[in-house]
Amino acid sequence: MSDRRSRFEQLVLPHLDAAYNLARWLTRNDHDAQDVAQEAMLRAYRFADGLRGEPRPWLLAIVRNACMSWLQANRPAELAGALDVDAAEVESDRADGPEALAERAIERRVLNEAIAALPPQFREVLVLRELEELAYKDIARIAGVPIGTVMSRLARARRLLADSARVIARAAKAKVAE
Amino acid sequence: MIPQDAARLLHAYLDGELDPANSRALEAELARSAELRTALERLRAQSESIRALADYHAAPAALRARLGAEIGEAGGVRGSWTRAWRGAAALAAGAAAGVLLALWLLRPAADAGLARELVESHVRATLGGRLYDVASSDQHTVKPWLSARLPYSPPVADFSQHGFELVGARLDFAAGRRVAVLVYQRRRHMIDAYVWPQAEAPAVRAGERDGFNVEPVAHDGMRFVLVSDLNRNELDDLARLIAAAQ
Repeated sequence: MSDRRSRFEQLVLPHLDAAYNLARWLTRNDHDAQDVAQEAMLRAYRFADGLRGEPRPWLLAIVRNACMSWLQANRPAELAGALDVDAAEVESDRADGPEALAERAIERRVLNEAIAALPPQFREVLVLRELEELAYKDIARIAGVPIGTVMSRLARARRLLADSARVIARAAKAKVAE
Repeated sequence: MIPQDAARLLHAYLDGELDPANSRALEAELARSAELRTALERLRAQSESIRALADYHAAPAALRARLGAEIGEAGGVRGSWTRAWRGAAALAAGAAAGVLLALWLLRPAADAGLARELVESHVRATLGGRLYDVASSDQHTVKPWLSARLPYSPPVADFSQHGFELVGARLDFAAGRRVAVLVYQRRRHMIDAYVWPQAEAPAVRAGERDGFNVEPVAHDGMRFVLVSDLNRNELDDLARLIAAAQ
């Protein structure tokens, strides 16, 4: 077995699930996620000799770039829609009343739809933080932005998510009531 | 109304990313402001529901197969060769681990070596699918199984009600001797707890290695070393539970 190949199989391949999960959340469909993840894994394989530091953030940076190129080519509107992402100030968090707390018991479908509806720049930090449980410094490296930007995007992603989950849950409730 | 910088620090605090000085300042602020406490609880609840409910998309088998085929070609290695080499590589890895172990034993108290060894043992168990030799969430099954095989009897507790489920135990070999390993699970994360009697326990410092957290904790005359890809905050939670167990 070649050195590169054994290196790849030992260090990079164990993170295939993480690679696919990120690709799936950014492309939002199985077919394209498989293509993008495969392309990224082959790229990672070619560059396995250059792997320094922790393998997972290193691989996810490659996957993230492949996803962004794919979005640029196939869903340019999605990326452009959030150009002012970092200009937007983080709102002060409002303290919610008890009825809002009850609404937070949202179901799985509502939550997944709400995450999928986030602009990709927010979706990626949220997925990397909550599902991959990565440190801010690793997310910064993967998304190619400063740590301060990771913090503000994450704060904003959580705010947007709470708002849109509320809206979706309300719409669903209204439908049931009809 | 919560001041903007406090709102921003709240996220870093929740994520365990706030430095000690700012954490203390924010905790003082939290003690004063009910509004801030509510905001923190709301964020924590949101984070927990995302982790519990959001889809985690594992790689489909078809992708694995396509990748295997592509890389097999790229490496110029045919299938049967791959299998043969895998076997040989496993043997070589075993031999190499033996050599590393011997080298480590000859070195004066270098705890970084043990941390590495434990992380490697944890990764081998996870990748090889040999997580435990006895699968049970019942401490009354696991404890006698271990004491029958070791010269000591580690305390065994299940923490399911706190989200750390005891799933089994295995015997492993580390620091030149057999060691009991209790296996816990939290969401998708496996946590290995290596247990030695305190007097014979090798020293290990808490830290991070190759994306895995290592956390020592003493309890009941034993020394536990936790190894997992779980984040540090939650691994600390398990360490506290173990330290406080009856």
